[in-house]
Amino acid sequence: MSCPGPSPAEVPARPGGRVLAALAGLRAPVVWILLAIAFFTSISGKPVDGVLMLIVAVGLAWDAGRRALRHPEAGETPAPARTDRLPGRRRRFAVIALLAGTAAYAGVVGSFSRYSWPATAGIIGLGTVVVLIGWHGPVRARPAGGRLPVAGTLAWLAVLVAGCLWELSALLQQPSLTTDSAAHPTISTLTDPLLATSPGRSVVLLAWVAFGWYLVER
Amino acid sequence: MTWHAVTIAGYLLVVAGIVALQLLATKTRAPVPSFGELLTRAMRSRTGRVGVLVAWAWIGLHFFAK
Repeated sequence: MSCPGPSPAEVPARPGGRVLAALAGLRAPVVWILLAIAFFTSISGKPVDGVLMLIVAVGLAWDAGRRALRHPEAGETPAPARTDRLPGRRRRFAVIALLAGTAAYAGVVGSFSRYSWPATAGIIGLGTVVVLIGWHGPVRARPAGGRLPVAGTLAWLAVLVAGCLWELSALLQQPSLTTDSAAHPTISTLTDPLLATSPGRSVVLLAWVAFGWYLVER
Repeated sequence: MTWHAVTIAGYLLVVAGIVALQLLATKTRAPVPSFGELLTRAMRSRTGRVGVLVAWAWIGLHFFAK
């Protein structure tokens, strides 16, 4: 006769369960990447970014750990897709409202100067909404797809990592982390002239929001 | 050639690589996934999904926020 222990769903509720959950969540590589970003962003003079990254890293570690403790055999499961889709006419209205909202957002936030508190609030607000929407899964179902071809995937990784390393080498060749260099410009330095004007900021914000929506639908 | 030009050439090379891979993926039968397929695969798990979305949010924070 077996003695029934606590059900897996109850594990995180035990004393110290939350700590256990967070520790179990540290197995996710994304958590470590976010912690690294939080650290390096903070020491390069952007403490707000650093704190936000830290909050997401801890939240993700706790969430991943909680699920791992509840279903230790399941491993990393795909995020569930939401299937509630608006009917045709309502969907068209929703898309038009979304486009109008995006244009208004880009116009208003783009009118604020960079690194000001109103611009910061606008970016944090939308970023938080999009991350929270994404946390619950894709907004529409997509086929799972098969395995990606290894050689092609490695080629993508090589190009993207090369881009990151090139940017990092330009950053490290600046006089300091917070002083730009004309000889070794980072992408931020190169985009400064565009982002110095209100229309330029609005165009970049439009592209940023559009890419965010594209990601939410993945 | 100045260091400024070399640095810019490096960025352009990376952009050219991205465009070339995307064209290979979408216009030929080469075994190369498109950027969208790569993102979809990376975002299949919740941690991957949140990680990619946070990277997107970080770009906005980096360029606009305090």
